[in-house]
Amino acid sequence: MNLLRLLGRIITDKRLMLLFRIILGVTFIYASLDKIAHPEQFARIVYNYKILPGFLINIFAATLPWVELLAGLFLILGIFTESASLLVSFLFVVFIVAISINLFRGINLNCGCFSTDPAGAKHGASLLVKDFIFLFLAIMVFFFNRSFASLSGLFRRR
Amino acid sequence: MPTTLKLSHILSGTLVIIVVGSVLGLIYNTLSPAGITLKGNWSPKTTSDSLIVPYGYVEGQDPPAINLDYAMMKFQSKNTVFLDARYPEDFKAGHIKGATNLPYEEFEQYSPEVLPHLPKSQEIIAYCDGTECETSLLLARELVDLGYKNVQVFFGGWQEWQNAGLTVETGD
Repeated sequence: MNLLRLLGRIITDKRLMLLFRIILGVTFIYASLDKIAHPEQFARIVYNYKILPGFLINIFAATLPWVELLAGLFLILGIFTESASLLVSFLFVVFIVAISINLFRGINLNCGCFSTDPAGAKHGASLLVKDFIFLFLAIMVFFFNRSFASLSGLFRRR
Repeated sequence: MPTTLKLSHILSGTLVIIVVGSVLGLIYNTLSPAGITLKGNWSPKTTSDSLIVPYGYVEGQDPPAINLDYAMMKFQSKNTVFLDARYPEDFKAGHIKGATNLPYEEFEQYSPEVLPHLPKSQEIIAYCDGTECETSLLLARELVDLGYKNVQVFFGGWQEWQNAGLTVETGD
């Protein structure tokens, strides 16, 4: 029983939440920059997912990276942390569904997760595993974040 | 642990991030020279990424050859110019949307109208009817000789573009 409680305290520790926030934030910022720099290539990747209708592809490609960038910044700085972690969780669910649909279709596509390079990673199954791990981190932050080392916490204390 | 009371706050925060991020993205896309057209123009069919090059094409020496997939991607970009090397009659009957006609066979006549608008660094994609024609390659070679630095040839041309159900227009 005590062991369980200790384990519970460790995995919801505020410093661990800070670490999760930084991991997720850095991941999202890193993932957004290459897409922002190469919008046409990212649009082609979105097209290759064959999920969105044609008229939505370019709008999605132009806006998603900036939403990712903002969410990543907010997670690291600790502004709207719960909102950002909820959004990030939602995005990971979307990515998991999109990759799964194409794995099911038998298409091993260029994920476009971190790089718009056409020679980018094409490992659907391992991508899913990574996305599930990230999703877990985001959900943990959503429930157990206690504005440790965050801008919003700084303002609240004053 | 967020309470249900807080949930509406959290959800509005999420919405704010989505809206602000999207607006920033759209502004950046408008200002960036690498921006894309917002109305996507993608083939509803599955396109293959195979590349066919005609006889006489010298890999590494001639301007780069691109396939339909790549041409379609470049079509989203606001600053790529498609040059149609076919005769004006063919061009008027139908061409890639937004393309400019520069008939290779009448280069001397048409180039003074077209080329002054194109800086030497302009990204240009030359095409003609399809893989059976060679005027796109000849036009691209000519442009490279004139000092154009970013010329590519789309050998699939008008036929492949049309077959893929991509955006076309008629007239001048």
